[in-house]
Amino acid sequence: MCSRLFRSLTLAAIVTTLAVVPSTPSAGQASRNRPTIAGCPSVSAKFHPCALAKAKDFSPPRMPDGTPNLQGIWDAPLAMGFQNIEDFPGDSAPGGFGPAITVIVDPADGKVPYFPWARAQRDENIRRFIDPYAQCLPTGVPRQMANFRTRQITQSGNLISIVNEAGGHIYRVVYMDGRPHLGPTFKLWMGDSIGHWDGNTLVIETTNLNGRWWYDSMGHFASDALKVTERLTLVDADTLHYQATMEDPKVYSRPWTIVFPLERIKEKGYEQMEEACHEGDHDAAGFVLGGFQPYVGPRFPQ
Amino acid sequence: MKQTLFALSFLAFLPSFSYGQRTGDGKPDLSGIWQVMNTAAWDIQDHNAQKGVPAGQGVVEGNELPYTTAAAAKKKANFDHRVTADPESKCYLPGVPRITYMPFPFQIVQTPAQVTILYEYAHTVRNVFMGTPHLEGQLYWWMGDSRGRWDGDTLVVDVTDFNDETWFDRAGNFHSDALHVVERYTLLDPDHLNYEATIEDPKVFVHPWKMSMILNRHKEKNFRLLEYECFSF
Repeated sequence: MCSRLFRSLTLAAIVTTLAVVPSTPSAGQASRNRPTIAGCPSVSAKFHPCALAKAKDFSPPRMPDGTPNLQGIWDAPLAMGFQNIEDFPGDSAPGGFGPAITVIVDPADGKVPYFPWARAQRDENIRRFIDPYAQCLPTGVPRQMANFRTRQITQSGNLISIVNEAGGHIYRVVYMDGRPHLGPTFKLWMGDSIGHWDGNTLVIETTNLNGRWWYDSMGHFASDALKVTERLTLVDADTLHYQATMEDPKVYSRPWTIVFPLERIKEKGYEQMEEACHEGDHDAAGFVLGGFQPYVGPRFPQ
Repeated sequence: MKQTLFALSFLAFLPSFSYGQRTGDGKPDLSGIWQVMNTAAWDIQDHNAQKGVPAGQGVVEGNELPYTTAAAAKKKANFDHRVTADPESKCYLPGVPRITYMPFPFQIVQTPAQVTILYEYAHTVRNVFMGTPHLEGQLYWWMGDSRGRWDGDTLVVDVTDFNDETWFDRAGNFHSDALHVVERYTLLDPDHLNYEATIEDPKVFVHPWKMSMILNRHKEKNFRLLEYECFSF
């Protein structure tokens, strides 16, 4: 329900003629105004080196098999559901989200290193197309990790599951058993995730993505050639340094990296609740009224 | 004596069911990827083949469903209009127990406090919270509120708080928001789970009834859930 409201807000940001229901602040929104998270500045570019330095001195709790224990339910306070992964002056959506500050730490200018045609495609995306997330389609990766409300990490045997509360039932299973990626025929919304430990850092490589989702509400996109390499490192007992590097030689001139913190939900007995989305969702009709079309992926230059 | 020793040495080579099949807290380990091998998705009762529908022996104990008179009439109307009226045709979340016997695999991720069931169909998720009471008040959830406990070596899941918008199958068998499902998952051997669901719904059925079936473990090398994002097609 909550995230449907957020989608309504996103809708309003684009289709300004539609009326909007006022939002109640999310946990993420409230923490947006905090100057520090885990003792580090709450801006990605500064959080990144500070948190990694702290992680070096932190001995994480461990699972019975000795691997770091990342289990828990996590909020993404700085990512704000990826209203915009780049800087965005002024309100990125009505309802008081405030200006977006880029989560991109490399390149240093905080911009996605698109090829020129791809930058034009991104501009066209927000003019012409509906954010697939607003149609209740899966977030893809890394948007899953930035999405509103919570994601639960569970470590069990040779896999790690990541299950989201919002977004209309989405999850990923990360296989830790050394298996190879799926064959190239497979194109999945949430991709094929294979993980391993690099010291105390969980490294997840995701391929076989379908290139039909956006990173954010503002049209930032990838193709089905995308490879995402995520690194999750405990900074302290309740904070994860989350990093994702995107490589897509069809769309970007070089790899690029985002960083933001994940914070543990410490509320005792917190449970993820059901969020149906497509079931009874009427946002898409509003988009069609606004002249927007469903997004089916990038159009490559001839 | 010699015969006894021979018998004992033979026993030592029998596959030991309890060894290695338990979690750290001593419970049966249900982790893995499972799928039914039956036709309940089309019709939970005995049914003959039709074009595109395989014949199948039903999964309902005694085969007949104890509908009230009014509910029996609604079931018939559902069946007559099943192609368009079935919530599955709109890609809605399919409810419980229907999600269990849809023709897609699902994965159980088990921890002592929570058993999470991830279904390939539409990324459906069920969080089974262990040893905690149902949430207060009536919720109207597609997949219900699931609370688990162990009855010996059986995982028992009590599911309430449903809406009235899901069916049991493609043949129009249905329930109301008074639905109460009790599921029982019991390992028969390392690769087979016995699944039972007791259905109680006083608005639709005159007495509770039960269905049961076998869940088979996927043992193919590197088998994993893929995706069936129903409404993306």
